[in-house]
Amino acid sequence: MLFFRKKRLFIILIGFILLVGLIGFSLRDRDELTTAEQFLKDTVGWIQGIAHVPVEFTTTIFSNIDEIKNVYKENQVLKERLGKYKLLVHENQELKIDNEELQSILDKTESIKDFVPIQASVVSRSHEQWFKLITINKGKQDGVEANMAVITGEGMIGKVQTASQFTSTVLLLNGFDRSNRISVSIDVADQDKDPSGFIVGYDEESDSLLLELTEYDSKVNKDDLVVSSGLGGLFISGLEIGKIKEVNPDQYGLTQVAYVEPSADLYAMNHVIVVDRVMPTPDEEKLEEEE
Amino acid sequence: MQRFYLPFLLLMILVFQGVALDFLPESLIADKWIIVPHWILIFLILISVFYDLESTYYSILYAILFGLMLDIVYTNVIGVYMFTYGIVTYAIHGIRKVLHTNYFVALLLGIVGVTAADIGIYIVYWFIGIHAMSWNLYLIDRLVPTIISNVIFLILLYPIVKPKLLKWSQGKFDRKQ
Repeated sequence: MLFFRKKRLFIILIGFILLVGLIGFSLRDRDELTTAEQFLKDTVGWIQGIAHVPVEFTTTIFSNIDEIKNVYKENQVLKERLGKYKLLVHENQELKIDNEELQSILDKTESIKDFVPIQASVVSRSHEQWFKLITINKGKQDGVEANMAVITGEGMIGKVQTASQFTSTVLLLNGFDRSNRISVSIDVADQDKDPSGFIVGYDEESDSLLLELTEYDSKVNKDDLVVSSGLGGLFISGLEIGKIKEVNPDQYGLTQVAYVEPSADLYAMNHVIVVDRVMPTPDEEKLEEEE
Repeated sequence: MQRFYLPFLLLMILVFQGVALDFLPESLIADKWIIVPHWILIFLILISVFYDLESTYYSILYAILFGLMLDIVYTNVIGVYMFTYGIVTYAIHGIRKVLHTNYFVALLLGIVGVTAADIGIYIVYWFIGIHAMSWNLYLIDRLVPTIISNVIFLILLYPIVKPKLLKWSQGKFDRKQ
């Protein structure tokens, strides 16, 4: 009997050592996954892609029925608006051509706003909700790399955390912390120069992003639009992030902290776009120089 | 052929755990409740109670294997689910020897297992700084809804899986009872 107890203790201790070792291995700051992890993620992701189709169908059927009720009313409103849009489209085209001509005079071909969109579908969401992770069905083979921004039609939802060959893992905005900041600018209507700042984290209690303004005296109002500025070097400029809810001085009184409500719904999305920035990011530039 | 049934079923459960939250109404998740599906663990407990003999350790082998897969596929930190699922299934395998195998024992072991595993996961993640949830908040917001939802899953799964597991167990180990 004593022998068995010793054996049991031994197994548990070995398990504990293994646990600490594996946690230590995975907590390192790493961008690349090991081949085994990539293989596993791709395999499971592939099956999830198949399993997701009937699930999506059944879970969306009720909301679809709800929507059908309002279709007629919406249609009337939309038709009315469509007339107005024609004028806007024309104006937009004129401005675009103008802009292109002016830029060609300046000999400036690359812009921080240019990007290649990669369409992707969400195949799963982490069941462990302390990790704000979702899996999408595009990977390195489709051009997805770590640290690319991920958006929906409504705004930014997060960034690619790790990419495997055929799937990738996306960290949602509500899982951001100080180690992955976004540099943003705030679109204030009556000011020429937009105040800038950083998204430094997420506040669980108020369900909003924390925005640290760079300057103490910048004037920011409620409902001002927050967009990415692209100056952080990873994302493009002009991605909508959210709206200002409230502005307070921070706890030391040195800067202002604003609470930003994300524009995109972080809980229900099926289709997303990965934003591949055309301008080289600092990491890529470094690599090219080394080569 | 029969030896592939269990891993295949577990793999399917692993896949469906990723879309489990889609089935719940959005208001429930977006609010403050955190419901974590521990479906793999529930199935492992059933395997341990109805499939394994006293001298075989298939449930623990699968616990370690699929715990590791859960870690890799759904989280950033490898080893946490592997360790907690492994230990909990090992304990259940031990307790099972003293109890009769029937519906209520399976239910009891399910509740005990999910509670132990979730608390274990809470402690390990808290220790490495994944979350900063206080114990009281955790108890109300996460532990209780998690136990309730997983017990519902166990009640649904039990009548489907139990006869199959007993049959496969008999086929595999040639039990004469």
